[in-house]
Amino acid sequence: MTVAVAAPRPRARLPLAFSIPKAEDSRNEDSFHRSTKGVYALSDGASISFDSASWARILVRRYTKSPQFTRAWLSAAIAEFRKLYDRDRLSWVQQASFDKGSFASLLGVRFIDAGRLIQVLSIGDSLAVLCDGDYIKATFPFSAASQFTRSPQLLCTNPAENVFLDKVEADYDLVADWTFQGLAQPALLCMTDALGHWLLSQRDSSPAPISLLRKVRTPSEFARFVKEERAMGRMKRDDTTLLALW
Amino acid sequence: MPYQAEISRDNPTCFLFVIDQSGSMDEITETGRSKADFVADVLNKTLYTLVTSCSKSDGVRNYFDVGVIAYGGAEVAGGFGGALAGGIIHPINAIGEHALRVEERKKKVDDGAGGIIELKTKFPVWFDPKSAGGTPMRAALGKTMETVGGWCEAHRSSYPPTILHVTDGQSTDGAPEDVADGVRQIATKDGPALLFNLHITTGGGLETAFPTNEAELADEYSRMLFRMSSPLPAHLAKLAGDKGYAMGDGSRGFIFNGDPQCIVDFFEIGTRPKLVADR
Repeated sequence: MTVAVAAPRPRARLPLAFSIPKAEDSRNEDSFHRSTKGVYALSDGASISFDSASWARILVRRYTKSPQFTRAWLSAAIAEFRKLYDRDRLSWVQQASFDKGSFASLLGVRFIDAGRLIQVLSIGDSLAVLCDGDYIKATFPFSAASQFTRSPQLLCTNPAENVFLDKVEADYDLVADWTFQGLAQPALLCMTDALGHWLLSQRDSSPAPISLLRKVRTPSEFARFVKEERAMGRMKRDDTTLLALW
Repeated sequence: MPYQAEISRDNPTCFLFVIDQSGSMDEITETGRSKADFVADVLNKTLYTLVTSCSKSDGVRNYFDVGVIAYGGAEVAGGFGGALAGGIIHPINAIGEHALRVEERKKKVDDGAGGIIELKTKFPVWFDPKSAGGTPMRAALGKTMETVGGWCEAHRSSYPPTILHVTDGQSTDGAPEDVADGVRQIATKDGPALLFNLHITTGGGLETAFPTNEAELADEYSRMLFRMSSPLPAHLAKLAGDKGYAMGDGSRGFIFNGDPQCIVDFFEIGTRPKLVADR
């Protein structure tokens, strides 16, 4: 008797992932998550807010598990965050910060049909970059370094702070559809704002910024690269994360 | 250009509240509460906002030093009690840790689904209302000069101190104008200290907010308070304009015959820092 067995679906390649904190003694509030189903996410927790590291971690884990961003999805994420704390037992300062809310960006990427469609969701100031070799084909949500501001609109655990989502058309304003098709040497990069600002401000420099990132293959190489760029004053001192699918 | 220094933990700024606690502060305002009670509540809410604005994921960062001088009767003294009673100015994290007490209040918040819910919320109290005796404004501003002078000596590179003086009456220990001039001459490398004056009333009368010229004012007392007040730096003038106050070139940080909303606005405008670094 022969039993027909469905051929296993090929697993998607995992991107390289590196992340270092703003300072050696500070907590890294960036988070990233990669699934073998071709869904990746990164999030930059805003240090101005209460336990943004946990909020960022919840966002990336939930996105890679269920990459359909809706208001119900966001409400479920907020509910998960709120369960982490007993509000009544917090000190008054913590309670005030908890009520004010935790803020974080969310950059999610879905590879559909082996890269024929790449769907990028971006809320906040984390940056996705589509490359062909060293050439930058597209960036999202920003295309110029000047678009990085001190107060990006971020996802918040306080629902009142998410009203900006009512004014956007999610499928158009928050999502970019890209493809690897037709590219000779396609690559996709996702990064938090310090690196995104660096990349767009160095876009026309020589050597090309993409070629510099391409050489980074280990966490220690990434740490050395970031420290050198910070020391040269070209990169903001902030938690810095890179996901790179070369 | 003055008032450009970034406010950071290495270079904090200072807010000093100088509060009239004379006997007339017990008059009842249109809110149904005494002036002293209302001012105390606004001051507590301002301190709450200052502490929470410095609260980051790693705790309360010392961007601000904050002090209170209270005066009334024969007394001019630090306005904090409990663990903070030993000094006039304290770093903001010490203020966050040492409220006199923490009360439970109710506040209405958005439930995220289009509705409003009432939440029990902890509310710290640092400052209780008091009202007794005369108005030793001259002595209070003398204490202010001494306090601010010491702070500036220790913080030469910082954004200069902001002093918010709240009173409802005329000085009973002599003219305070020359002492106020002295306060405004104390400076850091980033500019002279800012002295803003709020006169509050229960009697109605013409309210004057952020005037540009003393000729706009009705009597010598209000003109003196105008002269005692610093011009608003551009970023604070913009904030006042955004709140609907008519602003002009050289608008001073001065409100005369201010109603309860003016009190709230005065504290909010006066304590809004321009820049906070390393956020």
